[in-house]
Amino acid sequence: MNQILRLSLILLPVMIIVFFGKVLLFDGEKQASNFDAKSFPVFQLNDLNGNLVQADALKGIKLLNVWASWCITCLVEHPFLTNLSENDIDIIGLNYKNKDTKAIAWLKKHGNPYELSIYDPRGDLAFELGVTGAPESFLIIDNQVVAHIQGELNQLKWDSIFLPIINAEKQRQ
Amino acid sequence: MKKLFLPISLLLTFALSVSSELVYEFKDSTQEKRFYSLISEIRCPKCTSGSIASSDAPVSRDLKQKVYELVLEGRSDIEIKTYIADRFGDFSDYKPALEGSNYFLWFGPFVFLSLLLIIFFFKRRV
Repeated sequence: MNQILRLSLILLPVMIIVFFGKVLLFDGEKQASNFDAKSFPVFQLNDLNGNLVQADALKGIKLLNVWASWCITCLVEHPFLTNLSENDIDIIGLNYKNKDTKAIAWLKKHGNPYELSIYDPRGDLAFELGVTGAPESFLIIDNQVVAHIQGELNQLKWDSIFLPIINAEKQRQ
Repeated sequence: MKKLFLPISLLLTFALSVSSELVYEFKDSTQEKRFYSLISEIRCPKCTSGSIASSDAPVSRDLKQKVYELVLEGRSDIEIKTYIADRFGDFSDYKPALEGSNYFLWFGPFVFLSLLLIIFFFKRRV
């Protein structure tokens, strides 16, 4: 009896450490792998040029990036996005709670990695997507939201969260 | 100058407290009560641990506005919580539903506590 007690006294803390360690260390990956794909919300918004965004804008493999000219971290991840777009990744912008003139000026100043930017000044579409702020990025495959990250998109997150899904999808095709 | 310090600082504090007050108008007090209990049970997605009632983050303001609209529309508490959870994840509910892996969340601490008590009890008898 005593041995069982001693064993459980050792095992319990070990179990707790493993449990919390797992939660703490693999949080980022969990976000993507446990993500239940859901259809992209229906919306009717213009792009920054004033043209109505067509339904087929989110067909195929697209990266949807939530950005704004007032968002400092968006400027930090901007070079990475530019790099992605130069490597044939289609990026759709979601211009979030921004003034269109300011957004257009921002793109002129820093360059435009986006195929188009959906203009969402009140953040209605962003709310439907569960956006909590900017920047955030979504992976969309044929109008299905398959992954979502909050904060800066960088090489590490791209490689561990988005790239495996894209590769699997390309293999499937 | 020194004489002016107190009145001016008082004025500034007053101005601050006025600007942070958002006004929600309700048809009756039941709606109002439901609204305030709902916003205290929905987690702010931008804060590690706080409800949207306690947060003035832009997304919490949007969430409160949405909850307000849904309450006025006459939606039930469960409908409103599901609506938010569908968009912001199960994480948004401070009182997670009793299902699936949430059993661990609800009963884990009690199981853990009873295990400790059992061990303690046996140890003393031996």
